[in-house]
Amino acid sequence: MKGWFSKLSMNAKLGLLLLVLGVVALFIGNPYDRATATIDTAELAEIVQREVDHVAPEQLADWIIQGRADYRLIDLRTPEEFEQYHIPGAENVAITGLADHGLLRNEKIILYSEGGIHSAQAWFLLRAKDYDGVYILRGGLQDWKDSVLFPSLSADATPAQRVTFAKMAEVSTFFGGQPQGVAAAARPSVATALPMVKIPAAAPVAKSPPPKKKKKEGC
Amino acid sequence: MSTASQSIKPPQPYANPYLAGIGLGLVLLAAFVIMGRGLGASSAFTAIVTTGVHAVAPAHAQANPYYAEYLGDGTTSPLMDWTVFEVVGVVVGGFLSGTLAGRVRTGVERGPRISNTGRLMYAFVGGGLMGIGARLARGCTSGQALTGGALLNVGSWAFMMCVFAGGYAFAWFMRRQWQ
Amino acid sequence: MIAPFYKFGLFGDNVSLVMAFVIGIGFGFALERAGFGSARKLVAQFYLTDLSVFKVMFSAIVTAMVGLFFLAAFGLVDLSLVYLTPTYLLPQIVGGLILGVGFVVGGYCPGTSCVAAATGKYDGFVFLAGVLAGSFVFAEAFSLVDDFYYATPMGSITLPQQFHMSYGLLVFAVILMAVGGFAGATRLERWMASRKEARA
Repeated sequence: MKGWFSKLSMNAKLGLLLLVLGVVALFIGNPYDRATATIDTAELAEIVQREVDHVAPEQLADWIIQGRADYRLIDLRTPEEFEQYHIPGAENVAITGLADHGLLRNEKIILYSEGGIHSAQAWFLLRAKDYDGVYILRGGLQDWKDSVLFPSLSADATPAQRVTFAKMAEVSTFFGGQPQGVAAAARPSVATALPMVKIPAAAPVAKSPPPKKKKKEGC
Repeated sequence: MSTASQSIKPPQPYANPYLAGIGLGLVLLAAFVIMGRGLGASSAFTAIVTTGVHAVAPAHAQANPYYAEYLGDGTTSPLMDWTVFEVVGVVVGGFLSGTLAGRVRTGVERGPRISNTGRLMYAFVGGGLMGIGARLARGCTSGQALTGGALLNVGSWAFMMCVFAGGYAFAWFMRRQWQ
Repeated sequence: MIAPFYKFGLFGDNVSLVMAFVIGIGFGFALERAGFGSARKLVAQFYLTDLSVFKVMFSAIVTAMVGLFFLAAFGLVDLSLVYLTPTYLLPQIVGGLILGVGFVVGGYCPGTSCVAAATGKYDGFVFLAGVLAGSFVFAEAFSLVDDFYYATPMGSITLPQQFHMSYGLLVFAVILMAVGGFAGATRLERWMASRKEARA
C-alpha cells in the first residue's frame, strides 16, 4: 500500500492531498457553527473581575455629544420600550437576533438593557463567539436616567460633586432631560418625564467631518 | 526573441507550475490573514493616473467622480495606497526572481512572424484594453480572478470565465503575432 | 480569533503599506518563478500549447481558498472581515471579455507586465504605458459609462450564498474541478505537442 503512494509523481501526490482536503471540507460544511462556542472560562473570569468592559453613562453621554462614530450602541429591550425612549444612536436588537445583526468582531459594541442583567448575559454570549470589543453600559437605562437625564445633587454635596453636577446638568439638558437640583426627592413619574428622543443633530460640538475613508480595498 | 544584452547566468527552466501556483496561493493567503484583503494591480495604475491628472489640472480631477474617489479629502496623495506599494513590490520581486534565475535580459517578446514595432504597438493597444476592462470589472486577474476566485466571489468567477472566453475567442485573430 | 491582523488593529496604516510592499515582493517573485514575465508563455494558454496560466492560477486559487477555509474552521480567521469586492455582474462580464481580448493582444495582464518590465522586456514597459492610457481614457469617459458601471449590483456575495450551498461543498466542487482540469490540461498539452511534431 505504501509502495503505491510513493510511486506516484509529485504532482499526483499533491492532487491526491488536495482531494482529501476537499472531502474534509465537505464534511466541515460551514466554518462557523452557529450553535456552539468554546470559551476560555479563566480568561473570561479575569475580564469580568477587572471590569474593563464597563462604560459609565456619563462617558457614553460624552461620546454622543462629541459625535463619535466608532462604536455601535445596542438596545436589547423590546421594540415597544425602544419606541418610547432609547439612547440616541442606539439600534434595537433582540438578544436572539444578535448573531444575525451584522456585528463585526473587531467593532466596539456597547450593550444596554433596562437594568444590566440582559446586557451582561448578552455580553457573555458575544464574548463566547470571539467578539472582542463588547462593553456593557453600567447600570443600564436605569443608571442613564439617574445620572444623565435626571442628575441630582444631595444637600450635603462636596464641592467636587457640585462641579460634576453642574456639568451633568448641561449634559442632561442636551439630551432633553431635566436636572433635578438639590431636592432629589421628587422623582418624576416615568411616563411623563422621559424626553422625546432628540437625535442631537444640532450638536454643540461640530461633528468631525465623516472620515473620508479613501481606504480602497479592491484591486 | 531579440536580445540586446546577455545576463551572466544562463536562463534556468521555469518552476513546476503547480509549485509556483502554491507559492502564489500562499502569498495570497498571507494577504488575507495579515490584511483582510487580497492582491491587486490595476487600481495602482488608476492611482498613478489620478496623481498625474491632479498635478496638471486639479480642478478637473476634483470634479470627476472617478478621480475624486482616489483623491479622497486631499490630505494624502493617492500614491499612498496599498496597491501602489504592492505593485512596487511586484517589480522588485520579479527582478529578484529573474536575477536569481538568469532571466533578466532586455528585448522584446514576440512571435516569429511580427516585427518589434508591430509587437510594441499591439502591446500598447492590449494594455489600453486591459486598463479599460479592468476598471469596468473592478479589478484584473490579480484582484478579481485570483483574490475573488479564492473567496468564491460571484462576480469574480463570472469575470474569470469571461477573461478566458474573450482570450480564446480573439486568439485566432492574433495568431500572426504569436505563432 | 486575531486574524485578519490589520482588521483587529494589530498594526496601523503605515505598517500596512510596508506589508503591501513585502507581499508584493512575494507576488512578483512567484509570478516570475512561474515564467509569467514572458508574454509568449502567457499567451500560449490561448493557443493551447502551454496551459501554465490555468495551472498556476488555479493552484493559487485552490491553495488560498483551502487555506482560508481551514483557518476559519479552526477559528483563527474571521472570514466576515476579509474584503469581498461587490459584484456588478454585467460590467464585470463585459470587463472580463475586454480583458481577455486585451490579454491576447497585449500579451500580459497588469500584474505580469510589471514582472516583464522588471526583467527587462520592452514590450512590458509599453504594455504598462498602455494600461495607464486605458485607465486615463476610462476615467475621462466615466460620466458617459457610469450608468453601465453601476448596473446589476448584487452586493458582496459568494457562490455558496448565491446557490444556497454550504461553503465546504463549494470548496470541494472547486477542488474537483481544479484537479480534473489539471489532469485534462496535461493531456491536452501532450496531445498538442504530438500534433505539432507530427506536422513537422
